[in-house]
Amino acid sequence: MKKINAKNVNVSYGSKQALFDINIDIEQNEVTALIGPSGCGKSTFLRCLNRMNDVIDICKVTGEIFINDFNILDKKCDVVRLREKIGMVFQKPNPFPKTIYENIAYGPTIHGMTQSKEEMDEVVELSLKKAALWNEVKDRLHEVGTGLSGGQQQRLCIARAISVSPEVILMDEPCSALDPIATAQIEELIDELKNEHTIIIVTHSMAQAARVSQNTGFFHLGNLIEFGSTDKIFKNPENQKTQDYITGRFG
Amino acid sequence: MNSNSPHTVKSYEEELKNLNNNIVKMGVLCEEALRKSIITLVTNNSEQAHEIINNDQEIDKYENLIEQQVVNLIALRQPLAIDLRETVTALKISSDLERIGDLAKNIAKRSLLISGNLSKNLVGILNALSENVQKQLKSVIDSYLERSSSIALNVWESDEKIDDLTNQCMQETINFLKEDQNNLKNGTHLLFVAKNLERMGDHTTNVAEQVYFLVKGEYLEGDRPKHSEIGK
Ligand SMILES: Nc1ncnc2c1ncn2[C@@H]1O[C@H](COP(=O)(O)OP(=O)(O)OP(=O)(O)O)[C@@H](O)[C@H]1O
Ligand SMILES: [Mg+2]
Repeated sequence: MKKINAKNVNVSYGSKQALFDINIDIEQNEVTALIGPSGCGKSTFLRCLNRMNDVIDICKVTGEIFINDFNILDKKCDVVRLREKIGMVFQKPNPFPKTIYENIAYGPTIHGMTQSKEEMDEVVELSLKKAALWNEVKDRLHEVGTGLSGGQQQRLCIARAISVSPEVILMDEPCSALDPIATAQIEELIDELKNEHTIIIVTHSMAQAARVSQNTGFFHLGNLIEFGSTDKIFKNPENQKTQDYITGRFG
Repeated sequence: MNSNSPHTVKSYEEELKNLNNNIVKMGVLCEEALRKSIITLVTNNSEQAHEIINNDQEIDKYENLIEQQVVNLIALRQPLAIDLRETVTALKISSDLERIGDLAKNIAKRSLLISGNLSKNLVGILNALSENVQKQLKSVIDSYLERSSSIALNVWESDEKIDDLTNQCMQETINFLKEDQNNLKNGTHLLFVAKNLERMGDHTTNVAEQVYFLVKGEYLEGDRPKHSEIGK
C-alpha cells in the first residue's frame, strides 16, 4: 500500500533550485533507500517529508506530498502533529544532554501521550527494547545519554524517535559514524521496525542500501533519475547514470 | 546497457578487463582443442592427440585462475549491476569452457584407440558436425567479446542444427557397426565422439545464455530449441 505520494515537488534555497519535479511513491511497511552523490538533494527531500525545511528561511517548497492521502504541504497541516507521526534520525547521534530516560520520555511528554509515571516507564522500556538497547542500559537509565558509545547513542536516538509511535521514520545516513557491528545492529533494527513503520533511509553505502531496502531511488543533481525495486537497481538498472554511480564510474 | 566510462578506481577497471581477457583466451584454447581433436581423429595423428591431452591442463589452469579472480572481485570490490553480471557470468562461462576442453581431450584419447581408416561417409559427417560446433563456439566467443546479445541469441537458436547432425552421425555410425563385427571397437568410440560433440554444443549454448544475461540483465525466456530424440 502507498504511504507517501510526492507530486511535482520542487525545492529551492534562494535562487538555487535543489530539487526538480520529484514524483515518488513510498510503500507502507517497506524500507526505501535514497542514494546519490553528495549535494544531489537527498537530505532536502527527506526534510520535505516532515516539513523540516520550514525552519530554513530561504527554502521554498512547492508541489504536493500526500501522506495517508493528506497533503502535508497544505497550510492547514499541523506541523507539530506531523512531526509526531514522522520521526527522524540523523547522521550524527544527537541525544539531548539529559538522562537516557529523559531522552525517551521527552517526545511522549510534549505530545501528552502518557497519564502516569507507570505508563511513561512502560513507553521508555518498550522503546528501548524495540531499539535493541534495553539490555545494555536498563541499569543506567538515569545516567546521561551522551555517555553512551556512538552506536548506543544512535540506537538511543532511534528509541527516542519510535517512542511516539511514528508512522514513518526518516533516517539520514544513520550508520555513517558507526562500526560494522553497530551498523549491523541498526540494520537488523530497521528490518524489525519496518513491520510497524514505514522507513526512508538516506545512505552513501551501496551495500547498505542493497541490504536493508526493498525500493531504491537514485538522485542526481536534484533529479530523481531512477526509482525501482532494490533488486532491479543493483542488478540491472535502467538508467546509465544509475549504473555509473552504483558501479563507481562517476567522473 | 553497457558502461562506456571507466571506473574511478583504475585497479578495479584493470581487474575486470583482465577477467574478460582470460575468458577470451580460455575460449580460444577450447576452439583450438576442438578443431585439432577431430583432425587428429580422422588423420590418426597420435602425436597431436598427446599434445591436445597435455594442453588441456592449460585450459584447467585458466578455470582456476578465473575462479580466483571472481572470488577476489566479490570479496574485495563487491561488484554491482553490470560489474556483478560480468563477475558471475565469468565464473559460469569458465566452467562450461572447461567442460568443452575436457570433451575435446576425450576425443583425442579415443583417437588413440581407433585403428585403421574410417569411411569417407563417416569422415564427412563427423567433419560436418564438428565444423558446426566450432562455428557455434567461435560465434559465442565473439558474442562475449562484442557484448552482443543478438549473436548470443543466434547461437542459442542454432543448437538444433547440432542435434540434427549428431543424429545423422550416430545413424551413420550404426550403419558402420552393422556392416562388420570388426567395426565394433571403432564404432563404439565414434558413438562417444558424436555424443561429445553434441555435449560441446550444449555447453556452447549455456555460454550463449550467460552472454545474453550479461548484456541484457535478464534471462533468455522459454525452452531451449527442441532436441530431437537420438536415433530417430
Ligand atoms: N540550508 C541550505 N541553504 C542553502 N543551500 C542548501 C541548504 N541545504 C542544502 N542546500 C543545497 O541544496 C543542495 C542539496 O543539498 P542536500 O543537503 O539535500 O544534499 P544531499 O544529497 O543530502 O548531500 P549529502 O550526501 O552530502 O548529504 C546542495 O546544492 C546544497 O548546497
Ligand atoms: Mg545529506
